[in-house]
Amino acid sequence: MNFLLQRFALLIALTTFAMMVHSTETTDQSPSLVIFSATDTAAMQPIIDAFKQISPAIHIRYQEFQTNELFHAIQQLPEDQLPDLVISSAMDLQIKLVNDGYAQPFIDPITETLPRWANWRNEAFGFTYEPVAMVYNKPAFQDMALPNTHEKLALAIRSNNDFFMNRIATYDIRLSGVGYLFATQDEINSSISSRLKENLGRIVTKLDCCSSNIIEDTASGKLVLGYNVIGSYAMKYAQTNPTIGIIFPEDYTLVMSRVAFITRQARHVENARSFLRYLLSMEGQQIIADKSGLIALHPSAKGAFTYSHLQRDYPLRFKPIPLGPALMVYLDHLKQRRFINEWNNAILYDVFVP
Amino acid sequence: MTKAGYSLQQHLITRTVLLMIIVFTVLSAGVWNYARRAADLSYNRLLNSASLSIIERISVQESQIDLDLPYAALSMLELAPDDKVYYEVIDHTGQHLTGYRKTPSPANYQPHSDPQFFTAKYKGEAVSWVVQSKQLIAPAANGWVVIKLGQTRNARNELFGEIFYSSLATLSGILLLTTLLVWLGVRRALQPLSIISENLKNRSPNDLRPLKTPAIREVVPLVNAINNYQQQLLHNLDTMKVFIADASHQIRSSLGGIQGQLDVTLHASDTEEIRSRLINIRQQHKKLTRLTNQLLTHALVTHRSDSIAPRSISLNALVEELLTETVRDQAHTQIDFSYSAKIDNIRIPGDKVSLKEAFKNLLENAVRYGPDTNQIDITLHPCDEHLVEIMIDDSGPGIPSHQRRQAMQRFSRLSSDVSGSGLGLAIVETVIQAHQGTLKLDRSPSGGLRVLIRLPGTSL
Repeated sequence: MNFLLQRFALLIALTTFAMMVHSTETTDQSPSLVIFSATDTAAMQPIIDAFKQISPAIHIRYQEFQTNELFHAIQQLPEDQLPDLVISSAMDLQIKLVNDGYAQPFIDPITETLPRWANWRNEAFGFTYEPVAMVYNKPAFQDMALPNTHEKLALAIRSNNDFFMNRIATYDIRLSGVGYLFATQDEINSSISSRLKENLGRIVTKLDCCSSNIIEDTASGKLVLGYNVIGSYAMKYAQTNPTIGIIFPEDYTLVMSRVAFITRQARHVENARSFLRYLLSMEGQQIIADKSGLIALHPSAKGAFTYSHLQRDYPLRFKPIPLGPALMVYLDHLKQRRFINEWNNAILYDVFVP
Repeated sequence: MTKAGYSLQQHLITRTVLLMIIVFTVLSAGVWNYARRAADLSYNRLLNSASLSIIERISVQESQIDLDLPYAALSMLELAPDDKVYYEVIDHTGQHLTGYRKTPSPANYQPHSDPQFFTAKYKGEAVSWVVQSKQLIAPAANGWVVIKLGQTRNARNELFGEIFYSSLATLSGILLLTTLLVWLGVRRALQPLSIISENLKNRSPNDLRPLKTPAIREVVPLVNAINNYQQQLLHNLDTMKVFIADASHQIRSSLGGIQGQLDVTLHASDTEEIRSRLINIRQQHKKLTRLTNQLLTHALVTHRSDSIAPRSISLNALVEELLTETVRDQAHTQIDFSYSAKIDNIRIPGDKVSLKEAFKNLLENAVRYGPDTNQIDITLHPCDEHLVEIMIDDSGPGIPSHQRRQAMQRFSRLSSDVSGSGLGLAIVETVIQAHQGTLKLDRSPSGGLRVLIRLPGTSL
């Protein structure tokens, strides 16, 4: 089944790719930097615009993918159609691509400001600091204690089945690469993750492909809680919508970092390096903090959407997912099959057993 | 042979530096090997425990082999933070089960439960691998499951570099220090030489004291040798002084005698007296002439013995030639000469002129001190393979044994009534010594003097 899903995803990816290629042909200038990215264009556009200001000669073709699509596109495309830069929030898939030899090193003084966990082999670089959060509908929780740890969420669900029934959503890990990453990291970092999964299954948790859908449904009151959504999206949404509340669990809050690497086959290596250098620089990081809705990793970046701000407001809970070959464990297809089976058995339990 | 400008100090230091370079090279190779092995050993342990933790999680479920890849296995390998990781599991039928495909195997790999380490290229990079097998004994799956786990070599190379270069730095430090110490040691060891040369240089030519013996044991023989040489020179100088004083005295007294005789003769008026005085003067003059000749001969043989390289000469021919001359000179007397040579062709290395002068002196002495009816016998015969004996006997009065030593000394005449220069035997001795021979005075069968000379030489 998984295989079929992957095939399907690939099909979508290649179709999208063909469409995009078609659309860019209307511009008369051939691109001098090709970026494949699994990040909303809306989030990346301010960064690209700012980069264009300082490097007007570089013509960027930015192409958006789902995380799994992107992974398979890189693996299946012929070498001459590979992009110069690959950006994705699916850290494990990015690591697998780097381990498979799709990346080339980027040796630059700018990378020295990065924390150790956000740089693997000088090939894969994390450039954001995005906590994995729970979102909740503020009015719904008016008279209730907030489940501010994973343990408390499991207990709350068990003791209040009716309240939560059909009103919690989380990622469908079969569709979303990021969702799969979060679920596996829960498994590694928490001893109660199985219990929590079973409790989520008992109240018929809704499954979704994307963080933004879960956040919107929670804000509208269709859901009372969203589990394991991308915190930066939630924070951005909360700026304009006061009904949404954000919980960074106190026991541990995973931190995802979007990962960029320059492909080994890149045809515009110098431009890709300039862009990556800009992405990691103080200027680029400030743009991320100010305009993208993502969260800047650079410790000197200023504003609410920064690493330092989060550390100050929510101390002692953030646990960045380190870049390294251990991320590949859950990509082993036997391990993946086993994990998805267990997850199905837990989450989808009540669907099949009324 | 040592070349000109050869420096012992430079030579020793160059040799030491060369030796140090060889030692350095050999030790570097050793350190290189050690560092390589140490780095491999550390990371092979890691690889081994990771592969063990994977192999533990292989199970058989519903006739399917399953692997629950443990998170710890790969996270443990992150101790080498910049290295890629590859793994492959191959099931009991030899089919790929999970992980990367077409990973390398060691040559002729036979599954067994001990880990085997090897290095092979994978995806264009050198990768260190461990391969390990587990035997499944189940009805559904019976056979060996093979697991291969590989890691790129960045961390190993880094550790290797760390061990290698730090050891190399220590090693170079030690060798540099050793070279420095050797340099200082050589300088220190050679210092006495410069002290001695300074000492000699600063000496006035009149300072005849021996050099002070230094405290360093190794230098004592050198100083002793210098002192011995100096003593010999001084002794020779003394001998020369005495000789010159003696010769001056002899010449002066002869000249004084002649002067006196001449003065007396001038005042004489009697023809007969004048005649007898003139005879006296002629006698004195003859003596002086002979003395002068002998002095010159002595100087000649001394000089020749110092400077002329010996040549092979025929002793028979030499003696015969000399004898012919002497017999001719003494034809008017009643002196009888005999000559016998046991072997015809005796050859000795030497200087013909000096030797002839020496033998001539001996013959002249025999004539001079012997009676008018003297019998002089010359005998040549080889003593052994390397030694030749020349024997000259006369029938004169001979020399009593207690006076024989004295006879050899210069200007010592045993009786004043015969006109001798006192140099004859001294000349003979000088020549014989220069030829590494021996001179001995003895009694002849007829009661006269026997002169025995032994010289190194061969009879062919």
